Amino acid sequence: MSVTGIVVSSGIAFGQALHLNLHHQKIDYRLIPQTKVAAEISTLNKAFKQQTQYLHQCLQLLETGSEHFELIEADLMILEDDDLIEEIAQAIRQLQISAAVAIERIFSHQSSELAQLDDPYLANRAQDILCLASRLIARLNGAQHLDLSQLKVDTVIFAHDLTPAEFAMLPLEHISGLVLETGGITSHTAILARSAGIPAVLSCKYDAKQIANGTPVVLNALQGEVIIAPTQEVNSQLEELKQQDEQRKKQLLTLRDLPVQTKDGHKVALLANVGSLNEISHLADVGAEGIGLFRTEFMLMNTQTLPDEKTQYQFYSDSLHLMSGKVFTIRTLDVGADKELPCLPSIIEDNPALGLRGVRYSLANPELFMTQVKAILRAANHGPVRLMFPMINQVEELEQLFSYIEQCKAKLIEEEKGFGELSYGIVVETPAAVLNLASMLPYLDFISIGTNDLSQYTMAADRSNPSLTMQYPSLSPAVLQLVKNTIELAKSHKITVSLCGELASSPKVAPLLVGMGIDELSVNLSSILEVKSALRDISYQKCLALSKHALTLTRINELDDYLNGQYS
Amino acid sequence: MHEKIVTITAKHGIHTRPAALLVKKAKSFDCDIVVECDGKQASAKSLFKLQTLGLYQGVTVKVIAQGAQAEQAVEEVSELLITLS
Repeated sequence: MSVTGIVVSSGIAFGQALHLNLHHQKIDYRLIPQTKVAAEISTLNKAFKQQTQYLHQCLQLLETGSEHFELIEADLMILEDDDLIEEIAQAIRQLQISAAVAIERIFSHQSSELAQLDDPYLANRAQDILCLASRLIARLNGAQHLDLSQLKVDTVIFAHDLTPAEFAMLPLEHISGLVLETGGITSHTAILARSAGIPAVLSCKYDAKQIANGTPVVLNALQGEVIIAPTQEVNSQLEELKQQDEQRKKQLLTLRDLPVQTKDGHKVALLANVGSLNEISHLADVGAEGIGLFRTEFMLMNTQTLPDEKTQYQFYSDSLHLMSGKVFTIRTLDVGADKELPCLPSIIEDNPALGLRGVRYSLANPELFMTQVKAILRAANHGPVRLMFPMINQVEELEQLFSYIEQCKAKLIEEEKGFGELSYGIVVETPAAVLNLASMLPYLDFISIGTNDLSQYTMAADRSNPSLTMQYPSLSPAVLQLVKNTIELAKSHKITVSLCGELASSPKVAPLLVGMGIDELSVNLSSILEVKSALRDISYQKCLALSKHALTLTRINELDDYLNGQYS
Repeated sequence: MHEKIVTITAKHGIHTRPAALLVKKAKSFDCDIVVECDGKQASAKSLFKLQTLGLYQGVTVKVIAQGAQAEQAVEEVSELLITLS
């Protein structure tokens, strides 16, 4: 039997299943006899004490001042509220309800009161309060008997959800893999699993009853499959795959400090696409030379309130300190289409991909754009920053943005706040941007080709529609032609050309792009070493030949076969 | 019984962290201390309760204390309420 989910940390893991029942708790709503009231209250106190001790332990493992640290501190203040414990005890005494029922009742009342307040921060706390209640109820039910410090064997953890604090408490040396029912690639726990090198599959719908604790499982987090009680045959197949995977990863790691250049010495900048401070702190692990795309909307995904200028400034200057002078490219807020943020009002559109997204949203909400730009300008005092605008079609849009930027600078001078100069670029991701490029280049220091959207808009094929895979291939002759035109035009203006779409991550396509004249490739952290390896294994002469021939091909499958054939 | 009316000045209101400081101060007194806001009351000694009052910037609250050192308690708690940021 097997179940599937999303791979957020790749690898293969063998181990025994272990369920962490931190969440879903069945509550017994029957009244308790008068004689049991005292015992119930002492259980309540014990649960509070255990959760308090546990959170204090978590705090020791986390960085002071980090977001998680403050959330845990807030939970602790509630746990240490004697009035609250007394109120729960009172409810148990007077109503003869169990501690679990009392906690549920009082916490959900509190949570709904907070949710009603006209304050986004406290509305967010309403969720945390419910989560805390669920963990307390788990304690009452004896969840503390799972003392993971005693784990001796390789274990694959199964849970509904896992907070970063709970992840921090896992004895990682015995945790071989992680399977969660919730979460996705950008969740905090996903990032932690990746940096700890623990294979993880999230958003996996499994039936806990069919996977008893101790059942042998294999987590194939290359394909996103969890195999329960695998046969001997499957086991040995995956064991082989695991060794290959680990050997490959080890081999790639030896390339970390070597330059990114072809066999005959043609150099290319290999940059990273990132979305958080945590990812920035891992650039050195894979030897990334800088950041080619910093997605600023990710910092807004887990917050209910839009960060003010001061908060954003702090965030960008922290990032810049980590970069120590390396290339740092910020893309201004790119919301809309598939990216909905809890802190912004949602827009209902018939065609979101053709709607108010990227700079169109910024131009419609200039105050939002200007808050971000002011924060970035101020941060640029601490190091070089490149700023780029997504979804630009026209030079007028660019001129409008620059006039807002001038206003930002004027305000900063008025407020007597220091700021630095930026380099400016656009993300070329619509056919209109390619065709209008000549009028925009005089304003720009660099451009970055966003091939995912460029393909979608060139082929007029919704990239999220699974029945259009034929119409939205990873590489098509039309898109290749647009990329070629873009590079040639930019080169004639002596402007740096970067490419930040999925195409750059493919070890088969990257050499072709280098042959076409790309200066920088920007890829996900997990692809950096693969791409570096592909470029170091090929000569620039070969890259040139590849691109020359590829540009003559008119069929999608010919292009595909050609690139595949070159490396087999 | 002693009471005093003050206006919250903290930019982000009395959120978790400032509220915790308030609770700490209130707990240093033996008397009962209540914060009243928009018709709702909460013990100044309970963070859990204080959070539901909606203590935003610009909101006016009444601090009420009864018992030993009530006058001093009202003074010190009110003072803290207007200086917290």
